[in-house]
Amino acid sequence: MHLRFKIKGKEYDVIILETGEGKVKIKVGRKDFIFDKEEDKTSIAKTSFPKRDFFKKEIKTPISGTISEIFVKKGDFIKKGQKLIFLSAMKMENEIISDFEGKIKEVLVKKDQKVKERETLIILE
Amino acid sequence: MIIKKYKKVSSTSALAKKLKPKVWSIILAEEQISGYGRKESQWFSPKGGLYFTIILPKSKIEDLQTLTILAAFIVAKIIKENFDLETFIKLPNDIYINQKKVGGILTENILGRKVKFSIMGIGLNTNIDKFPKDLENIATSLKIELGRKVNNEKILKRVVDGIREQLKTIAE
Repeated sequence: MHLRFKIKGKEYDVIILETGEGKVKIKVGRKDFIFDKEEDKTSIAKTSFPKRDFFKKEIKTPISGTISEIFVKKGDFIKKGQKLIFLSAMKMENEIISDFEGKIKEVLVKKDQKVKERETLIILE
Repeated sequence: MIIKKYKKVSSTSALAKKLKPKVWSIILAEEQISGYGRKESQWFSPKGGLYFTIILPKSKIEDLQTLTILAAFIVAKIIKENFDLETFIKLPNDIYINQKKVGGILTENILGRKVKFSIMGIGLNTNIDKFPKDLENIATSLKIELGRKVNNEKILKRVVDGIREQLKTIAE
């Protein structure tokens, strides 16, 4: 397979070849890179799942209650410790702050909505 | 008991959240400009009343709820035992005498996955002589009921001791 890329105005010729013995040779310009096909497949499979879970950032409520105020919206960058939501719960007023830093992908709740313990309120990218 | 005294604050709980003092310290004010209760209701806080916020230790959220409800009983019991006034509790956190409100309690928590900071704000109408027209039929003070002044510092100490002891029992 012969591919041609243009990156920042510079052209790259890339040739991908199967060399036999389960190996793949990728030729970029004059440089050769040889990969073991099987090994790469397994290593991607092994690392991709735990990684996805590890990076899943969600803000959940530790208690049931009613959302009384939301201070953030989709697309906002939030810092660790930032005030996100007010929740009236269990006869107390609760300020939910972020344990993470990141960009808000989605706010799943609305003002006056009732939420249950462990329910996800906000998803981060 | 570490008591930080102020003449006039916006609210003792708002200040506590800002300053985040040591656990079990008390923010006490002679007057609050914007004292508040649950659901952003206002708490009339002129000179003479007892307005304070207790910094609670990090506890389980369930224990804090129990403590909030018991705090109203603690305050009611102190009023009954020291001044022989019949008190009623409107759960979870208001105290009444003769169907008029005399005190209120509001617990506030800052939560991440766990409890990070908790405070309990208490407002007690102690030495208030008179309430404005819109409140005189729904609010009263210990001074109005007793016809004499009470000692704010003594009441404060008894309430805080009672809450400390109660939380110890709940958490055990």
